[in-house]
Amino acid sequence: MEIAIKAKDIVKSYDKANLALDNVSLNVFTGEVLVIMGPSGSGKSTLIRTFNGLESIDRGRLEILGLHLDENQDEKQIRKIRRRVGMVFQQFNLFPHLTILENITIAPIKVQKRSSIESEITAKELLKQMGIYEQINKYPNQLSGGQQQRVAIARALALKPEIMLFDEPTSALDPERVKEVLDAIRNLANKGMTMVVVTHEIDFAKEVADRVVFMDEGKIVETSSPQNFFSNATEERSRRFLNQMM
Amino acid sequence: MRNHNNFIKQLIIGIIVIFILSILINNLTVNLIRTDMGLSFKWLLQPSGFAVSESTVPFKPSDSYAWALFNGWLNSLKVIVCGLAIATLLGIIAGTSRFNSNLLVRFIARTYVALVRQIPLLIQLLFWYFVAFLSLSENPLKIINGILEISNQGVYLFGLNLSLEFSALLLGLSVFTGASISEVVRGGLNSVPKGQWEAFRSIGLSEGDGMRKIVLPQALPAILPGLTSQYLNLAKNSTLAIAIGYSDIYAISDTTITQTGRAIEGFIILLISFIIVNLIITNSMELITSFLVKDTGK
Amino acid sequence: MFLERRSIKQLKKELASSPMDTLLTIVIISLFTWVVSKSIHWILFVADWEVITHNIPLYLFGSYPKEQLWRPLSWITILSALTIVTLIGGKKIARKKFLPLIWLSMIPIGIVFIAGGLGIYPVPSRYWGGITLTLLLTIFSAVLSLPIGIILAFGRRSELKFLRFISKTYIDVIRAMPLIAVLFFGQLLIPLFLPVGLEINRVLRAVFAFAIFTGAYVAEDIRGGLQAIPPTQQEAALALGLSSRQTLQIIILPQALMTALPALTNQAIGLLQNTSLMAILGLVELLGISRSLLANPSFIGKYLEVYSWLAIVYWIICTCMALLSRQIEQSLSTSSINNI
Ligand SMILES: Nc1ncnc2c1ncn2[C@@H]1O[C@H](COP(=O)(O)OP(=O)(O)OP(=O)(O)O)[C@@H](O)[C@H]1O
Ligand SMILES: [Mg+2]
Repeated sequence: MEIAIKAKDIVKSYDKANLALDNVSLNVFTGEVLVIMGPSGSGKSTLIRTFNGLESIDRGRLEILGLHLDENQDEKQIRKIRRRVGMVFQQFNLFPHLTILENITIAPIKVQKRSSIESEITAKELLKQMGIYEQINKYPNQLSGGQQQRVAIARALALKPEIMLFDEPTSALDPERVKEVLDAIRNLANKGMTMVVVTHEIDFAKEVADRVVFMDEGKIVETSSPQNFFSNATEERSRRFLNQMM
Repeated sequence: MRNHNNFIKQLIIGIIVIFILSILINNLTVNLIRTDMGLSFKWLLQPSGFAVSESTVPFKPSDSYAWALFNGWLNSLKVIVCGLAIATLLGIIAGTSRFNSNLLVRFIARTYVALVRQIPLLIQLLFWYFVAFLSLSENPLKIINGILEISNQGVYLFGLNLSLEFSALLLGLSVFTGASISEVVRGGLNSVPKGQWEAFRSIGLSEGDGMRKIVLPQALPAILPGLTSQYLNLAKNSTLAIAIGYSDIYAISDTTITQTGRAIEGFIILLISFIIVNLIITNSMELITSFLVKDTGK
Repeated sequence: MFLERRSIKQLKKELASSPMDTLLTIVIISLFTWVVSKSIHWILFVADWEVITHNIPLYLFGSYPKEQLWRPLSWITILSALTIVTLIGGKKIARKKFLPLIWLSMIPIGIVFIAGGLGIYPVPSRYWGGITLTLLLTIFSAVLSLPIGIILAFGRRSELKFLRFISKTYIDVIRAMPLIAVLFFGQLLIPLFLPVGLEINRVLRAVFAFAIFTGAYVAEDIRGGLQAIPPTQQEAALALGLSSRQTLQIIILPQALMTALPALTNQAIGLLQNTSLMAILGLVELLGISRSLLANPSFIGKYLEVYSWLAIVYWIICTCMALLSRQIEQSLSTSSINNI
């Protein structure tokens, strides 16, 4: 199988006292859906954010789609990676001063230098797929949380990325809005998109994930298939975490 | 790598800034040599030769420029300190009036702010001086006999004789700054949760007591920073004294520079004296803040 | 607030809730009636408005040559048209790249129109005056101070220590100085710092001094706007592959400017009011013209008329600016910027 993301012994700390990432090694295969779980502060966000250079690493090596990254933050290299890797945040992070359409077309126009007509056609298609075509000329704060998050997914997809990163995409949503966003992510998975998803949604993980990674205190504690992980996790820490969740 | 880049960037910016500065300084020295004047502060000790209409410390024309400037600085300080007190009082009255239960009181407070803030201070000062004070008659208008009397010669208050220039400047500055302070106070009061008003009413406190004892103290942390910046504004605005002939630090610097031609030195002295005034104000306000805010237990 | 309809009962509660309150209401009403009737009486029967009515052209254009009046007139017309287009065009137009350029180009166009040169008959700056000069000073300085403020605001947040240091020093020193001093020394010192032989006229020197001064305040307002933008906005933009410069230009700066807009319009109002200080330094803008009229023997002692007239003119202009800014603010907040 082809490897999309290869992380080797990465170390990262924000302050001297604790390591946010403690010698993490991980491969993500092309076309795979990898779900990352773990308690708060375990380093899930930090890990996923190193995959598109939002966090620098202190030691170790990363290879994203064949592009290398190490502790020397090479701006050009990072921008190359970001063009091919999409990211969706917990808090949506839409641009409040731009319309929904502009939010989606800004990157294709400014980063990929595509024409605005072409970008708008792509954007409209994506909005239709996400079921929010009617909102096209509104501003982000006129939309519900679920709608905003679907716009954020469309915005990331507009660059035609080869990998999608999701950092707790449903945690800021009202419970009744969670399903519409998970459906959108599930659709993507069915189309064979390579994805890394940080989430606490167990049912979703069981159904969609190819593999589950469990993190604690900056380390990867356990990697297994969803069936194994949710029915008989090998590690004590994983079991404790799952007990709390269910 | 990153730090390396930053260093080069800093170096480039540094070189550009030094380059621009050196062009400016070069032009300056060329111009100064052309007019035959180097930088020097010796002239400060020469006799000024001018009279000062209002002096806080004894001053005669044979005294030095330095003494004249110090005198002006004291004059500035005098009007600033008095202005702060009156403006604060006006501001608190007008600001709290915006929450008065009487419709007309609120209306008057609003009108005051809407009127005063949209007219340049300089015009208000000229108005107070030329219209309100200079047009008075020579016979004192005895507002309160023996305590407050006003004529076109000056103002008599509690045994003090205040010059017309001082009075007009003080009044103009206070009325103008008072309007801004009232907006600061109003903002602060707005930041106190509505529940607090209901709470003091429900335990039977009067509106006045509730405002003084319950709401204002809680609004203080939000009010004080805005108050400081209004105080600094008042201090800076006091330099408009020159328009009505009050001898403040700026007016005396102006005369000094015209007489000696020492513009750059004068600029430096003025800058320093203002930095001192600013420091006095900010430091006292910090002191007051730590005192008051501790007092309310926050 | 006062135009809301109130029932009689409500009115009674708000005007006469207690005997003291009733007394207060009566006192205020009688005082108010007295002041208003006195003022109206004075305006209509006592005041001698000749000092104003005879000098309307002076108030509008100063002593600008009559046959050249079309020049300031057409400049002001273009400006008003541009303002209206900017306001009505709203966000659609505001995002176009050429708009700031057109606004910036109004400065050289204005200079050529009003000062002459480039084949147009020159009019020296001592003939510029009145409301034209007030507006010219305000607009030129405002347009210049905005880029100064933006550069300083970013300088203060730069990761380069040295840049931070110069920006902060500049901002702090200027904010410690009284405006009149900056203007006075602008007149005196700007020529000293220029190469021998290069001279710029008094009005332009004033514009530079105002821009240098206002820039420091604008910088602080924009810094406030920048601080209000959550860092996640920058992250989201970077994650999309936008460069740092694009992120600043497209994502951060527009939001910061929108957030700072109320503060910035306050600066503009303050700037307009402050142009009156140039009267002390010998320019004949609105206040300067008035002072020279008051020195004229035929109008001597007409202080009350002249200053009341000035107060009304400034009040109307400033109040309009304030109302305009509130409208812009509201239209912005309903569309986009609130609750980021
Ligand atoms: N910007 C930062 N500065 C300092 N410390 C940070 C920062 N971001 C994260 N940390 C620390 O790094 C560790 C890992 O944080 P991270 O956000 O990756 O956890 P997480 O697994 O995503 O948690 P959560 O489920 O709460 O989102 C934590 O101890 C956190 O306190
Ligand atoms: Mg997280």
